[in-house]
Amino acid sequence: MKSTELYSSASHTWIVLGRDDSKPEKIIDTNQYLIKSSQEAIILDPGGVELFSPMLASILKHVDLEHVTTLFASHQDPDIISSLGLWDKTIPNAKLHAPWLWEGFIRHFGMENIEYVPIKDEGGEVRVGSATLKFVPAHYLHSSGNFNVYDPQAKILMSGDIGASLEHGEVPMFVDDFAAHVKHMEYFHRRWMPSNRAKSNWIARVKELDIEMMAPQHGRIFKGEAVQEFLEWFAKLDVGIAS
Amino acid sequence: MLKAAQSSDAVGNFIRVANIIANLDIILTEAKNLSLTAKNARVVALRAGDSAFGFKPITNFIDEFSDQTIKTTAEISKLSNQLFTLALAVVRCSNFINHIQKAKKASDSKTLDKLLSAGCDDLIIKSKDLERAIFNLESYFEDIQKQMRSAEYIAVTSRVEASNAGDFSESLQGVSDFIASAAKRIKAAVTDNLSEISKLRGVMR
Repeated sequence: MKSTELYSSASHTWIVLGRDDSKPEKIIDTNQYLIKSSQEAIILDPGGVELFSPMLASILKHVDLEHVTTLFASHQDPDIISSLGLWDKTIPNAKLHAPWLWEGFIRHFGMENIEYVPIKDEGGEVRVGSATLKFVPAHYLHSSGNFNVYDPQAKILMSGDIGASLEHGEVPMFVDDFAAHVKHMEYFHRRWMPSNRAKSNWIARVKELDIEMMAPQHGRIFKGEAVQEFLEWFAKLDVGIAS
Repeated sequence: MLKAAQSSDAVGNFIRVANIIANLDIILTEAKNLSLTAKNARVVALRAGDSAFGFKPITNFIDEFSDQTIKTTAEISKLSNQLFTLALAVVRCSNFINHIQKAKKASDSKTLDKLLSAGCDDLIIKSKDLERAIFNLESYFEDIQKQMRSAEYIAVTSRVEASNAGDFSESLQGVSDFIASAAKRIKAAVTDNLSEISKLRGVMR
């Protein structure tokens, strides 16, 4: 599994883990994010059960396991959090921050040790070492209980499925040509995002944030101007269409 | 090292536990039918009066062992929930070990050795818990088997008594036949379960 550093400061570091060569062909590729601070670390959307082994091996290259104190699940999908039963044995003292709406569902993945910390609909925040991360509501984009993670210091928005793209082969880590990238994400957003109203609410909310990087759970990451380009494109896109 | 065969054993054990629990339903349904039959037979014997005098104590016996079987089955049902949880824990432990072994191919971190060792210890503990629960279960099924031997004996005696019941002979004969067939079905389900338990114990040894 490849890992790329997205941001580093004296207080904390963002690393994206993904593009796993050993991934079975029919499983969708996912980006997992590790934020490590002095003595603590969080994994955002730790991924599916099939990716647990390469994920664990990669995480250990960056951080001691006892420092991984927190997990975050943006929503309930299997590619987001079906590895939970294995993390539960690996880091039994950790806490999982996830939408309150999905607690009874996410527990089906197996959770005997890790503590479930429900995130209220309006969002919240978590402190990981010296970093403060904000949970930004993104309900119905695509899941009915859904959050993004915003880091005001790093100016990174982990946007979950918003901004996701589906590409095959060797996929670069960043969007270099937004216009050319649209074809990889248009169908995904039309089909998976069910509500224009929810979309407009989210756009209004994130326009208030100072974002230098928008990091989705699938595909390439948006940097600089590409973030604004995405927001403008998304605002005009009619979603909730199955054709 | 956990071998692939051991891992599939964990899943196989889980399926065996599911089979055992499915058979419990058969036992419980038949035991409830027996209890109902005893109540009906008592009414018939009362109507038959003196001609079915010998049948009355038999209905008490049927009632007694069917109640006992229902109680034992209820105890087993309680145990079966625990059994499912333990079997699932064993599957999860072996699954965890498999994933750690895969991670070790990509990393030589000592943390993985510790996780593997802890996982194997956990698997041993969970497997022993499962083995203990299976041992308890076996003794319950042996109790039911004894109850069914009594049921078969009663079915034979009740046939003799039924033949002396004049006009009511045919309906009491039906009761005797039902006791015999219900006991047979319960015994078959118990035999199946004892065989599954024996396989489980063999695999876990």
